[in-house]
Amino acid sequence: MSTNSKSAIEFRKVSYRPEGSAEILHDLDLRVHAGETLTLLGRSGSGKTTSLKLINNLVSPSSGDVIVEDHPTRTWDIIRLRRRIGYVIQDIGLFPHFTVERNITLIPRLEGWPVGRVQARLKELLSLVGLDPQLAPRYPRELSGGQRQRVGVARALAADPPILLMDEPFGALDPITRSDLQAEFAALQKRLRKTVVFVTHDVREALLLSDRIALMESGRLMALCTPKEFLHSSDPLVATYVRSAGADLDGCDRGEA
Amino acid sequence: MLFRFKADVARREGRRSATSLAIIILVLASLVACAPSHQNRIVIGSKNFTEQLILGEILAQHIESKTHIPVDRRFYLAGTFICQQGMLAGRIDMYPEYTGTALTAILKELPGNDPRQVYDRVKNEYAARFHFEVGPPLGFDDTFAIEIRGDDARRLHLQTISQAAAFSPKWRPGFGYEFMERPDGYKGLVSTYHLQFAEPPRIMDLGLLTRALKDKQVDLIAGNTTDGLIPAFDLAVLQDDQHYFPPYEAVPVVRDETLRLHPEVREALQDLAGKISDAEMRDLNYAVDGQHRDAKEVVANFLRSKGF
Amino acid sequence: MSVWHFMAQNRAEVFQLTLEHLWLVAISMLFAIVIGIPLGILITRWPALDKPILGSANIIQTIPSLALFGFLLPAPWFGERADRMAILALTVYSLLPLIRNTYVGIRGVDAAVVEAARGMGMTDRQMLLQVQLPLSLGVIIAGIRVATVISVGLATIAAAIGAGGLGELIFRGLAMVSDAVILAGAIPAALLALLADFGLGLLEKRLQRF
Repeated sequence: MSTNSKSAIEFRKVSYRPEGSAEILHDLDLRVHAGETLTLLGRSGSGKTTSLKLINNLVSPSSGDVIVEDHPTRTWDIIRLRRRIGYVIQDIGLFPHFTVERNITLIPRLEGWPVGRVQARLKELLSLVGLDPQLAPRYPRELSGGQRQRVGVARALAADPPILLMDEPFGALDPITRSDLQAEFAALQKRLRKTVVFVTHDVREALLLSDRIALMESGRLMALCTPKEFLHSSDPLVATYVRSAGADLDGCDRGEA
Repeated sequence: MLFRFKADVARREGRRSATSLAIIILVLASLVACAPSHQNRIVIGSKNFTEQLILGEILAQHIESKTHIPVDRRFYLAGTFICQQGMLAGRIDMYPEYTGTALTAILKELPGNDPRQVYDRVKNEYAARFHFEVGPPLGFDDTFAIEIRGDDARRLHLQTISQAAAFSPKWRPGFGYEFMERPDGYKGLVSTYHLQFAEPPRIMDLGLLTRALKDKQVDLIAGNTTDGLIPAFDLAVLQDDQHYFPPYEAVPVVRDETLRLHPEVREALQDLAGKISDAEMRDLNYAVDGQHRDAKEVVANFLRSKGF
Repeated sequence: MSVWHFMAQNRAEVFQLTLEHLWLVAISMLFAIVIGIPLGILITRWPALDKPILGSANIIQTIPSLALFGFLLPAPWFGERADRMAILALTVYSLLPLIRNTYVGIRGVDAAVVEAARGMGMTDRQMLLQVQLPLSLGVIIAGIRVATVISVGLATIAAAIGAGGLGELIFRGLAMVSDAVILAGAIPAALLALLADFGLGLLEKRLQRF
């Protein structure tokens, strides 16, 4: 498949410096194509999570513009913006006092969907993320870590947003659950083709799931390429990352489809 | 349709929290509705010294026997202010007060000298400001009494304070703290009668002053005219010939509301008008304080002796 | 006379005074809740205000209660009636636990939950009503519990300025030097405090499941 050349998200010379602190992002220029999965890869402090949060305006740029669907975030109604963007975070953040069903259907209900449509969507989502419908009336504390993150993903997808932001979503899970969810997510993305911006520090995860990888270091974009290009890059920084990921990476790259 | 479901979500999610808070608030509100009220009883209060307890008991027993309305006693209230608050809030319906105290402590006016004037002023103001009715005076005046030992009074032929002023430079005086502080107390006394003393006043607890006088630790004190120990210790009360001390006639004070509900109470109070003289009040005080007899019993005997 | 004998003989009065006591506590707690919880919510939204508001409530609490009643005597309108003063004093004394617990409760909600809620597009109001308040309810009720128990105790002192309640029996018993009368006031007051503590404690446990 080919990536659409229209940008869903664009960073134009974006800098971010919180009050009284050092600059976190410096002059970021980046385009995310509609329908692609772009990974922001880097160490802690590289600015990748901040960049993610600039997209749904949990953080505002100090200078420059973040353009989402042709409009700068500055000019968007923040609530409308966020409802068009699914948000999945590492600690998941399910509401402990809501059942699985209520957690997932939160946004559709807030948007005023008719009951029938909400119920139908719930069924659809549960099957999409691989959750047993019997779990719908349960509370998050009764679920395993993997189940909770599936709920988190279902919740993010509930209102069928065109954009999905994921901040190290599988980082808190055990390795087996993590690789299960990675595989399932990859399959899901093939079906849904949403615009996904994925943040991780795990090179293997980046190579597995991305259409393109954006390598960040100290608030700057250092490299932007496909997984294949990444693996064979001669850039010294990229090379250190590739080396750090260890042996046998050939199976990790995604083929051009 | 859309609106209903938005509200539905909010209501359901907030419902549990709202319900709990609502329950708390409802319980509180219903307790609030239990504000004090008493239609079929009369609550009589009194301050927390013996004379007041006796007066309260007199009012209570007489009203009970004459009108057959049950009486609740809330005695030992800590002072004039507390009693006034109780009356205003309707927690008590009646209590015995003194005209002078009503004038200065409650109405916050300057002390007066003419008993009739003071009584009328208090009666009118209480009716207008608080809707309280001031009943007829009970017959005695509990004002300040300048006391010396009976021996000295007889030996020096002293009957008035003015006469005593000639001898006071040889005497040690004793006064209570309140007397020293009050505008109608020490300062005015000394300037009105041109009194001089051998030394500055010893300041003591009221209860100890009388005994100190008897034991010759002091030679002149300011006590109360109705103190039961006066006859018991053979003390003499010097006449206030310059009418310096304001009148403190004992009167019953009643809420208008109570009289509206129970008009027969007014009659009962009329019965008691002028029935207790200074000397009789001293005897009653002595019976309870000095002889440690039960106040209820003392009062019952007294009322019987008056034909009630 | 034993305290039980006294209470049996004077049960109407003890009951009346208990109701007066409850009335004082109930109405001041009502005011404190209506003022304190919104203030607590306010300072989570405007952090610049948290020090002045928490600070003021703290200062009020350090004023000895009897002194606070005394300060109010010359106050216009309040100073004229003992129950007004008592209710004002009891209300402001209850503010600190309520403001502080609301503040701490809301701020104590899991940061991930708040971040997810914001990121998903919940408005501030939706987040407050559907997420933060329900999840902090246990802590808020704990604050109500503490404030109520304090109020029941404080209300006994209110009798000193003529506001009535069970304190009146205690003061009377002191003047009469009668243990029976003192206890006739102290025991019901203690029971009220225990009851409030227990009842609200149950409610708090139920709501702290999350």
